[in-house]
Amino acid sequence: MEATLSPQSLGKPGLASDLRAFWAIVNREWTIFKRYPSWIIALLIWPLIFPMMYILTARALSGVDGSGMTVFTQTTGATNYIGYIVIGTTVWMWQNIVLWDVGFALRNEQMRGTLESNWLSPTWRFSYLLGHTGPQIITMTTFILITAVEFGLIFGVRLNGNPWLALLIMLASIPAIYGLGFAFASIVITAKEAHTFVFLVRGLVMIFCGITFPVSLLPGWMQSIAEWMPQTYMIHGMRSAAFANASFADLLPDLKALLLFGAFWLTLGYLLFNWMERRARQTGAIGQY
Amino acid sequence: MSDLAIEASQLVKKFPAKPGTGDKPSEGGSAPPPKRKLFPFGKKEPNAMFTAVDGVDLQIQRGEIFGLLGPNGAGKSTTIRMLCTLLEPTSGTARVNGFDVVRQANDVRRSLGTVLAGERSIYWKLSGRENLEYFAALYHIPPAIAKKRVEELLERMEIKDRANELVEKYSTGMRQRIAIAKALLARPPILLLDEPTLGLDPQAARNLRELIAQLKREGHTILLTTHYMEEADQLSDRIGIIDTGKVIALDTPEGLKRRIDQQEIIRLEVIGWQEYIGDKLRALSEVSNLVARKQGEADLWEVNMQSNNSRAVLPKLVENIGQNGTRLVNMNIVKPSLEDVFIHLTGKALRD
Repeated sequence: MEATLSPQSLGKPGLASDLRAFWAIVNREWTIFKRYPSWIIALLIWPLIFPMMYILTARALSGVDGSGMTVFTQTTGATNYIGYIVIGTTVWMWQNIVLWDVGFALRNEQMRGTLESNWLSPTWRFSYLLGHTGPQIITMTTFILITAVEFGLIFGVRLNGNPWLALLIMLASIPAIYGLGFAFASIVITAKEAHTFVFLVRGLVMIFCGITFPVSLLPGWMQSIAEWMPQTYMIHGMRSAAFANASFADLLPDLKALLLFGAFWLTLGYLLFNWMERRARQTGAIGQY
Repeated sequence: MSDLAIEASQLVKKFPAKPGTGDKPSEGGSAPPPKRKLFPFGKKEPNAMFTAVDGVDLQIQRGEIFGLLGPNGAGKSTTIRMLCTLLEPTSGTARVNGFDVVRQANDVRRSLGTVLAGERSIYWKLSGRENLEYFAALYHIPPAIAKKRVEELLERMEIKDRANELVEKYSTGMRQRIAIAKALLARPPILLLDEPTLGLDPQAARNLRELIAQLKREGHTILLTTHYMEEADQLSDRIGIIDTGKVIALDTPEGLKRRIDQQEIIRLEVIGWQEYIGDKLRALSEVSNLVARKQGEADLWEVNMQSNNSRAVLPKLVENIGQNGTRLVNMNIVKPSLEDVFIHLTGKALRD
């Protein structure tokens, strides 16, 4: 009887079993995501709706014939204001969705009641956040591709640069964007509510990182703050790679900044997660909703 | 290997209290009012603490069902959460399957199958089979073994026919069975079941109790918390009664009942019960531990009391109750139940 009731008979866990657990979390998230079909509509409509607000404002200001474009081109160096705006708003939406989705991943589990049953298993607990991120990156990549296709087909936006370098900037942005999401996820579990923080961060990105205008238009003190926000480098790097025909060397400062910010936010996210996990063991926060 | 599956020594858990709800000073007199600072800076005053578990000692033998019985808020769930590593004790130690719950938390998790939060502990947007496959991976069960165990458990829980349906379409009883199957996936030697029959209909609860008894026969040690005394009485080899964070009695169900076998339990059914009647009856020297509970929607009350001389007290009961529209509709003298033991020990009913 003892032999059948011995968890040790399964063997000591190792890297392979941890990877299988991680994959199971990714698979679970993806399966649940597919069972809410309204995401298809959101993926098709949102890439158009949010930038349209700014594009129409820009069109009104520059004149339907584009006569006001000269000033814009002089200030930004860009000739395609639609592409310029779409890149800024897409980075904003990416960060915004990650804050809501990854940032609230553990909180949603906590409210459903499943966080405790996950926490009771011997799996490495950071896997729950990492596993949630996998499907999120896939859906965000789809979102960005749909944005490119829709604006290419409807507004005739064409890339004037190297798409692979634009992709490289995107990849280099992932650690910073998701590291911020991890930090949020840990704070949300402890604070139970973080809507105010999400509104604050996305507001800061909107104003300081130049989603529809060049950062150089901002007063000096605001430009100094913008330099400390990774989204500024994402937007600048993507615009340069996609529309200004920038070379790898031109993009290197943006890439370096993004990787440094990525290392910082990933480390902070991981440290905050460990802090939250220790605190939850003292306060019982995991089971509270 | 130790004969003890679970061992806790002087386990204490304190939480920061909400204002006005902290622990009372342990030695007489009221706490002095806090001094108001002229300048509200400097070192923060320590927060008042609420003691949820207060020096619990437990020794649970391998292969036994141990019932932890107590009302809501008594400290049952906090105790179980410390044993399954979700909570860290403020002080004291606990070992599960020989592993320390703080220093060897992962070994404890591998030794335990836990049912907390019942049907809410599984994913409603996954099927029963998907849930079990998912949790098998979290418990590091190799895929080939996991596949076999999932099928065995689906069969055993009689859910195989509907294993591919989403859990949201299941009844509460079926969801609870999936939660138990999840706890059994890794074949853990010890099971912690927190209120496993809560919210189940009588038939589903009966089936689940049969399953728990069968799991014991298979060699599992089971720690069961419940506030259903019949359930604890029927299933447990030993019972710990917990109230205000302390284990106030620990014995076999029969041993606990023997503690009050000198007492007779008088059970009345009364229409239109008034609290002042209760006060009058409590004043009688032959009556102790009177508890009145409303039954359902109508103004029907069940009144339980303990007496060492029922013959002497019955005429006084009839005289006091038949006044001001209050009507006695039934009266029995019954054997003590675990609930009577609980009332005897604490002066209050289990489901207050």
